[in-house]
Amino acid sequence: MSQRVESPRLRLGVLGIVVIALFVPLFARLWYLQVLSSESFTEAAEANRVRVVQVEAPRGRILDRDGTVLVDNRVSIVVTVDRVRFAELEDAERTAMLERLSAELSRYGSPATVEQLQDRVDDVRYSRYAPVPVAEDATEELKIYIEEHQELFPSVAVERVAVRRYPYGTRAAHVIGSVGEINDEELEERANKPKTYIRGNQIGKTGVERIYEDDLRGTPGQTVFEVDAMGDPVRILEDLSAPPIPGDDVWLTIDIETQALSEDLLAQALEDARNRRVSGSNLPNRGNAGSVVVTDPRNGEVLAMASYPVFDPADFVNGISSTRWEFLNSDEADKPILNRAIQGVYAPGSTYKLFTGLAAMVHGLRTPEQPFLDQGTFTIEDCRGPGCTFRNAGSKAYGVVDMRRAMTVSSDAYFYSIGADFWNNRGRLGDEAQQETIRTFGFGQETGVPLPSEQDGRVPTPQQRKAQYEANPELFLTGDWFTGDNVIMTIGQGDVGVTPLQLANGYATFANGGTRYAPNIARKITRSGSPDTIKRSFEPRINGRVEMDPAHRQALLDGLVGVTTRDGGTARATFAGFPNDTFPVAGKTGTAEVDQKADTALFAAFGPAPAPEFQVAVVLEESGFGGTAAAPVARALFDVFAGVAPMPVIQPGGALVEPPLEGAEVDDTSERPADRLGQIAEGGAD
Amino acid sequence: MESFAGRWPGTTRAGSMRRNPAAPWRHVDLLLLGSVGLIALIGTLMVFSSTRGTGSAPANTAILERHLAFVATGITVMALTTMADYRRFRDWAPLMYGVVCLLLLGVVSPFGTEVNGAQAWFQIGPVQVQPSEFSKIAVIVGLASLGAHFGSDIDLRRLAILLAVPGIPLALIMLQPDPGTAMVFVAITMGMLLVTGVRAKHIAGLTLVGLTAVVGLLSSGLLADYQKDRLTVFLNPAAGLQAEAYNLNQSKIAIGSGGVLGKGLFNGTQTQLDIVPEQHTDFIFTAVGEELGFLGAATLLVLFALVGWRIWRIAQLSRDQFGVLLCVGVLSLLAFQIFQNAGMTMGIMPITGIPLPFVSYGGSSTIALFAGLGLVQGVHMRRFT
Repeated sequence: MSQRVESPRLRLGVLGIVVIALFVPLFARLWYLQVLSSESFTEAAEANRVRVVQVEAPRGRILDRDGTVLVDNRVSIVVTVDRVRFAELEDAERTAMLERLSAELSRYGSPATVEQLQDRVDDVRYSRYAPVPVAEDATEELKIYIEEHQELFPSVAVERVAVRRYPYGTRAAHVIGSVGEINDEELEERANKPKTYIRGNQIGKTGVERIYEDDLRGTPGQTVFEVDAMGDPVRILEDLSAPPIPGDDVWLTIDIETQALSEDLLAQALEDARNRRVSGSNLPNRGNAGSVVVTDPRNGEVLAMASYPVFDPADFVNGISSTRWEFLNSDEADKPILNRAIQGVYAPGSTYKLFTGLAAMVHGLRTPEQPFLDQGTFTIEDCRGPGCTFRNAGSKAYGVVDMRRAMTVSSDAYFYSIGADFWNNRGRLGDEAQQETIRTFGFGQETGVPLPSEQDGRVPTPQQRKAQYEANPELFLTGDWFTGDNVIMTIGQGDVGVTPLQLANGYATFANGGTRYAPNIARKITRSGSPDTIKRSFEPRINGRVEMDPAHRQALLDGLVGVTTRDGGTARATFAGFPNDTFPVAGKTGTAEVDQKADTALFAAFGPAPAPEFQVAVVLEESGFGGTAAAPVARALFDVFAGVAPMPVIQPGGALVEPPLEGAEVDDTSERPADRLGQIAEGGAD
Repeated sequence: MESFAGRWPGTTRAGSMRRNPAAPWRHVDLLLLGSVGLIALIGTLMVFSSTRGTGSAPANTAILERHLAFVATGITVMALTTMADYRRFRDWAPLMYGVVCLLLLGVVSPFGTEVNGAQAWFQIGPVQVQPSEFSKIAVIVGLASLGAHFGSDIDLRRLAILLAVPGIPLALIMLQPDPGTAMVFVAITMGMLLVTGVRAKHIAGLTLVGLTAVVGLLSSGLLADYQKDRLTVFLNPAAGLQAEAYNLNQSKIAIGSGGVLGKGLFNGTQTQLDIVPEQHTDFIFTAVGEELGFLGAATLLVLFALVGWRIWRIAQLSRDQFGVLLCVGVLSLLAFQIFQNAGMTMGIMPITGIPLPFVSYGGSSTIALFAGLGLVQGVHMRRFT
């Protein structure tokens, strides 16, 4: 043993202390990790363990008011690549496989280059656990080929997925809207929605598809995998997984036959306008675009909403090509994507007189019977110069007119005088007396129809004019408001702008006695697979009420009925032969001047007066006279509504045909209403 | 006859053993033996748990079977080592040392096999042998032998000779390179020098040199970047190489999520789903922490502490300086490896490829450690002879 006993003992002691010093932090750390902060680590461990793969649910269907299916789903064959398996292949094998796939896709009509395929597979925005789609709507032959040659296409699978199907083609396309792949912005917006979205999901982009997205979208199912460190699935956790639930069905207020008829009549009227010769110095009709709106004035339901030109929603299935998208948005094609019923803003022309006439009576500037001598022109008092005199259309003189007659013959001079009186009495009535009455009918604001991107139109005021000028002095000639501004407003010109739906809704408000409804586009929503289980139903929504003196209303109604029935009525020729006694139609033509373009033809009408069930508004861009171009569309529709012509039957694909003859009581009215358009004589102008 | 009986007890009759109070077998340290046995049992369970495979497939027992074979071999080697009088190893020390140095030289030659970036293995048929594990025992025996020879008076010249003993294998190990094992050598050397009687100022000086060497190593080109990263990632897990930070984070998640009682054997999700890498070898402590919880992991540490205390006590009881130093060497080896390995899984020590003694899967390490334990047991058994 060592002679210096103390020293080794001491040294061993030091070593012991060092060893204890090593163990103490281990215990302390273990305590910290497992006792003090165990909770957060437990959460992290759980997150490590499972991966959730979403299983997309089929979208709900869109039906018309009677249950005709306008949109449902069909199966599309999609070629996918499983990224996990693809990554396991050798580099050379990957390239060779993509080359083979590219060749076969091209051979079977879904061409894709190797680069395009590679880009898709590399796109990090797709989930790692769900196969990446590389070709959609492939043929059954390709599916068979790939499945029979699976050894040539490792990691490739061919699946059937549900995509949108449109049994009636382009019918009601603007109302229905389109679906497309969700974008980053939408993904962010909907991050916390109960029906979760992931990259690659379909979402309603426009129209009803967008507005009722939350109902139409199914509840995605989920498959929960337990995964290992590589993220490879080990097993499916059944108790955490759930099957997808299909979306709910939306029943529109639209009647598909009325819709299709409106569309055909609209297209026909525009074609007729293009073929119509114009007189004198007038610009030729381009007849390029327009809209027809049919509503029920009793509850605000939209029965038809046609916009021309149309687009095919099927173009959006599997993603729209950028060239097609640009085309649909181009001026050359007149922006077919626009729903002109709610997005087209037009000068209403003489159709506005209903509201300016009422304004004059409401503010005591006119009584219904007060006579006015129409000499064809109107000159503002104490005003000298060419801008002080305003002419009737065609410089016609209508002689002595009252409110009724002025409405029936569409005397501009009568209404010009109203506009001047409003301005001359602004001290008493205020600057915006005329506009106030107009606005109670919903102009200058959205109607509230549940469709996206509705325009609110324009009801110009002196205050607005001033504000606009001050904001952009170089853009406007003046910030002042003149008598002339009021004068031309009475006939729906100047800076006045309305959408076809606003026009229809304004007339409907008058027609039903003063209840302004927010138009509805959907009646109800029912659970998938059980049409009797109503999830929601949409009751009429009242946006406002207009109190009208019965005497005022009667005078205006008489004037409007006169338009289609009396001598000098601007649409009388168009309504020749119509059963006015049993189904009186009250309407008003409009021919609105547009700078550098042919006139906008308008017609707004409802029937049967005095308790109307149908409200029609027709707006045709660059098509000439309202009575000649637009009114025939309404006539053909009212023929059907009055039972004079049969409602045509819609065929798969969207074509309209005559209904089968049911008996002898249907006489010579079996001709297609659209065909009547050509037979209607060129009628009176307004 | 007594010494012969002591070395080869199997040749004597049981009766004579009972009569002789100094017979070595009467002095086996049962606490040491029992603790190590329990540790090895826990280790075996955890090796199985982390390698049995996932999903519904039948459990994979291939690794378990190999591990059991290693443990059995280790226990046999321990028994053989115990049977031989430990003092004989003084004579065998140069031979053992020489063989080990040759093997270490061979392993960095083309005969060696590289795994995980370190050329530390010989591939012999289905078995991989890691000479550096055995070199730890050889260095302990060598240092103990020289230290006992020098006595308590160690001047600078003697210190230099002592340092040369671990120095040569250390240099060869750095050629592999295996910084973790190198650190174990440093720990063994420091522990043994402390007890040999090296002067305090020399110890202080050596510590300084050691720290400088670590800094120098990290800034030299000797280590690959990923190795440096492994060594430093624990200081700032967020800034490390992704794979290293991943290891560390998943390891901490596994241990932390075990909580007080653990998730139960075979029920640790991190363990069963292979989320922590190298879990049956270097990161096996995470499996213990996750599945057996604080109770299990702390029990394991307590068992290790018992082993440490027994070895320390045996050092005190040793009848000669050689025995003292053998015990100190093995104690330093175990204490450092436990601290380093468990500390690394909990994020308080750098990530190095050092196994957890008697728990981690690995043949060379298990057998070498059991051999070391055999030496210590021998010192205890022969403290009266």
